[in-house]
Amino acid sequence: MKISFNWLKEHADVGCGANELAGMLPRLGMDADSIARLGPAFTGVVTAEVLSKEKHPAADRLSLCRVSDGLMTYSVVCGAPNVAAGQKVPFAKAGAVLPGGTLSKAKIRGVESEGMICSCKELVLEGDASGIMVLDPSTKAGQDFAALLGGSDSVLDIEITANRPDLLSHLGLARELSVCLGFPMKAAEERPLREDAGLRSFPVEVPSTGECPRYVGRLIEGVAIGESPDWLKTKLKAVGLRPINNVADITNFILMDTGQPLHAFDADLIEGGRIVVRFAKAGEKMTALDGRDYDLTPECLVIADASKPVAIAGVMGGSATAVTTKTKRVFLESANFSPVTVRRCSQLLRLRSDSSYRFERGTDISAAEGASRSAASLIQRLCGKAVAVSPPLDVYPGKKEPSPIRVSADRINAILGSDFPRDEIRRAIEAVSARTQGEGDALTVLAPTWRGDLATPSDLAEEVARILGYDRIPSTVPTSALRPTEELRSCAVAGKARSRLAALGLHEALTYDFISEKHASLLEVPEDRWVRLANPLTEDWTVLRPSLIPGLLQSLRRNIERQAESVRLFELGKVYSRDAAGVRERSHLAGILYGPLAPAHWKASKEKTGLFEAKTILADLLSGVSGLEWTTQARDGGFAGEDLLLPGSRVFIRNASGPKGLSCGCPKGLSFGCPKGLSFGSVLGRLGILHPKLARAWEVDREQPAVFELDLELLAGASSGSKVFRPLSPFPSSWRDLSVVVRQDVPYGEIEAAIMGLKLSELDFVQLVDVYSGKGVADGLRSLSLRFVFQLPDRTLKDAEVTAAVDRILAELKNRFGAELRK
Amino acid sequence: MATSDWLASFEAAAAAIGAWDPSATPTLEALEAVRVEYLGRSGRLTEALKGLKDLPLEDRKLLGPRAQSARAGLEERIARRRAELESRQDLSMEKSGVDVTLPALPALRGRLHPVTLMMGDMTRVLGLMGYSLAEGPLVETDWHNFEALNIPAHHPARDAHDTVYLKDLWRQGTAVPEGAGSPPLAGGGPLLMRTHTSPVQVRTMEKTKPPLKIVCPGRAFRRDAVDASHSAVFHQMECLAIDRGVTFADLKGTLDVFMRALLGQSTRLRFRPSFFPFTEPSAQVDVNCLLCGGKGCPVCKGSGWLEMLGAGVVNPNVFKLAGLDPEEWTGFAFGIGIERLAMMKYRIPDIRLFYENDLRFLDQFDEDIL
Repeated sequence: MKISFNWLKEHADVGCGANELAGMLPRLGMDADSIARLGPAFTGVVTAEVLSKEKHPAADRLSLCRVSDGLMTYSVVCGAPNVAAGQKVPFAKAGAVLPGGTLSKAKIRGVESEGMICSCKELVLEGDASGIMVLDPSTKAGQDFAALLGGSDSVLDIEITANRPDLLSHLGLARELSVCLGFPMKAAEERPLREDAGLRSFPVEVPSTGECPRYVGRLIEGVAIGESPDWLKTKLKAVGLRPINNVADITNFILMDTGQPLHAFDADLIEGGRIVVRFAKAGEKMTALDGRDYDLTPECLVIADASKPVAIAGVMGGSATAVTTKTKRVFLESANFSPVTVRRCSQLLRLRSDSSYRFERGTDISAAEGASRSAASLIQRLCGKAVAVSPPLDVYPGKKEPSPIRVSADRINAILGSDFPRDEIRRAIEAVSARTQGEGDALTVLAPTWRGDLATPSDLAEEVARILGYDRIPSTVPTSALRPTEELRSCAVAGKARSRLAALGLHEALTYDFISEKHASLLEVPEDRWVRLANPLTEDWTVLRPSLIPGLLQSLRRNIERQAESVRLFELGKVYSRDAAGVRERSHLAGILYGPLAPAHWKASKEKTGLFEAKTILADLLSGVSGLEWTTQARDGGFAGEDLLLPGSRVFIRNASGPKGLSCGCPKGLSFGCPKGLSFGSVLGRLGILHPKLARAWEVDREQPAVFELDLELLAGASSGSKVFRPLSPFPSSWRDLSVVVRQDVPYGEIEAAIMGLKLSELDFVQLVDVYSGKGVADGLRSLSLRFVFQLPDRTLKDAEVTAAVDRILAELKNRFGAELRK
Repeated sequence: MATSDWLASFEAAAAAIGAWDPSATPTLEALEAVRVEYLGRSGRLTEALKGLKDLPLEDRKLLGPRAQSARAGLEERIARRRAELESRQDLSMEKSGVDVTLPALPALRGRLHPVTLMMGDMTRVLGLMGYSLAEGPLVETDWHNFEALNIPAHHPARDAHDTVYLKDLWRQGTAVPEGAGSPPLAGGGPLLMRTHTSPVQVRTMEKTKPPLKIVCPGRAFRRDAVDASHSAVFHQMECLAIDRGVTFADLKGTLDVFMRALLGQSTRLRFRPSFFPFTEPSAQVDVNCLLCGGKGCPVCKGSGWLEMLGAGVVNPNVFKLAGLDPEEWTGFAFGIGIERLAMMKYRIPDIRLFYENDLRFLDQFDEDIL
């Protein structure tokens, strides 16, 4: 809301400057976004007459002038070639504040100059800057030159919160300053009006359903349309409005002055000479004053004549009935429309105006008649010599008073936690509403008609706090029962996963929840599972992400573009899919590993990050955040999301105690668990090398990124209880390193499972220490070197016992896989 | 053994020991050989000492101390030489000239995102103040995001919440209106991406009886074009306390404690009147500029204050909408933008940096010691 400081001062004795006022507004709940200065940017410049001109004794190009402001005569050195005796000029006396600085007396080539005769340039005015400004010879000397040019003004751009439509006018703001800062209000300007009792307004028909609670109409005849006087144009320009013609300018002026939107129609273009406020019929169209055509819908309240809409109620008038230079008769509307009706229509048509902005927030219903009267008075004064104005037709069927608010000083102190004296609270409330009755402890407050936001004791508490100062309310820390805060399991698991992954050398990324359709289809998620946006911001952001991988790929790509060699990122976030029940929102965790394990460094290995680094990370992560037993399963089984991974590199993280196998028959989807038994579905996530088609699509295919993604909710749900200490054996362990030769296609996982399946109590653990194929091992076979560690908790193992256990293992491996001990 | 034999072998050993020049023994290994030769399990001196017991008592009395002192003397000389050699060995690294200024391999250590760190700091402080974590979905209903927070359909306060709606997805139990897909306006209907973390307030009130104190950090979404200071995805933290007799003064005190713990004890707060439909009275809370400390600088536009968060006393209407008795229950709530605070704290000029995940950016942040 633009507020002209000069205009504001017409309503209240503002006891400070514009800058100072702007500084005080935040305490009242307003923000001055900016202050612009309008008009002459100088003070202390007066009109003066050049009495004489002589040559400067010491400089050829300077002259010595005597200048009079009507009271005194000054000696002035002037450098302008065009100065001459008898001229009327703008004269800056010592002490004048000019855009370039404050002027003081100065000696110029040995002669003192008591001021300066000004050019356009020094005053930052438009015009010929080659010499001094020469004013009209009839100009009287001694006038303030800035005032002569129309004076200067400051325009404050003030942000008004949505609950205070009453501040969207100069009068309203003045009233607020008077309530909160005590600036006295000035008497309203007299606006006499001669009503012509013989003249009748058009009849007005309003719906009974409350969309138009009040409608004041007047017919005005004999208007002469023309330009507005300068004072009016200046005011409108100050608040950013373009002057149009005298009648339109007057309606805009009243809007900005009082906050009441008005509209003037050319009465001769209103068919049938009557006004009907109604909803638009399907198919009706109207060209509005902005020149655009609008397709009206039955949600739009319109002002219509006998046959067609002539205005969109509370939003904008139609161009067909606009006041033009030809207009002789005006129908003046000053109405009150329901906020919801105006807002719905304004949004539907995507058409906003100063008028709709105020109506949708709520205007003062009681102000409609007064505004109509003020506008009519101004039209009578400014728009022709013989303007006849009809008495108002005021359609105001359900006159409503605000409900009284019952409140006590104690109640207000109880809400605020303050200790304001009762009489101070009462005075503050009385400042807000003169209609306050009762004694300090039982007040009945009738809010002013313009304060529709005041309805409850809480509202009044805010008023009291605002007026008395938020800073006067004490700071106290609430006492509360001592009880432990509740741990939120999902947050705790997420927190631990984050710190674990960071400790493992991954940086945490945050990426957007929106992806493009192109990327969604690359993930091969079926389209019927996409969650699309109804009003996407851009084409790249139309679908909610079904996986965290696209965002990580985007981040990886950016880092590669910025010449990062080695990138390891993870993200915890939501993924979305659609099913019969609506939107499924799941918490996922994903990571991406790319490039060398370490930066190029004299101590570092040159090894690339790959599948097994991802496994290392997941193993540690899972052991940290979940008590779950888990295994990896390599077989491809038509399972959800496998298209993301390079065939042959796919690893699924399976809950070891869940159902065996991966093919649960569920549709391809996003979460890894089986929707039928989510809490203990068999698959928690996947890892592998990113499928090259995705690496190519995101242009990250110089190396092969490894990726992993887990369902964090399954992980959190599967967490175990507390751990139990396992005693440390004081007895020595025995080690045996053995190499067995097996077929290449026997997965190691099965070999280890077979060994563990023997459940040998002597065997503490087994570790794969080498994998070899080549010279000495036949084609199609590989040698696996295993380290077996045997130990018992209660005694030292005998050599024969260890040998017997090794023999059992070898027999089992031979039996199951045809494995032979390597010679 | 005859004393003379014993004496002959002892004298020979003693003479050899006497002739031994420790400084001629160049290494610890050679020194150990000397020790073994004389003092080992079957060393020459050890043997002599063992042989003493076979001598007549008179001789033993005479020769015993000599043998003991010879051993002690040798042990001391060996120990002294060992110390010399060891200290010489300790200097060997210096002599070999290892360049200790060669760079060590940086630890393979990741970092948490500054948004996570900031939210962690906040929830840690509030956790100590008795606030429990609460969460809610990011896909929300109009009811939870707006209506129940006293923001009815067509309220101008919705202007501040440019909302992303989901296509063809409606709250369960709501009939899909005709023409769904166009920006839906009818009350109740469309699912949306939550525009603030405040719906978690509503969800908590639905399932938890007061008194309660919760903190809800998380993502929120606005249909804002992305630029240096706007992001369509951002993070907020909402805090809600409901109890009997909670006041605006309690809100002030809580925020005082919270912000000082977060930003330092010299932090000062300024409460300004503001408007949020779900609180009354409402306040905009400023802190003294983190950059200039309140003197005024370009960051705070010369005011000395930075707009930090929105807060207020829970509007009784919100309690009514949640089915709680507003005569019995009172509360306060505040909400703070995480990126905005992080931008001020770390002087990050552009909000987009939070979502680019440039490693050079992420590398700069670590857990603060509050």
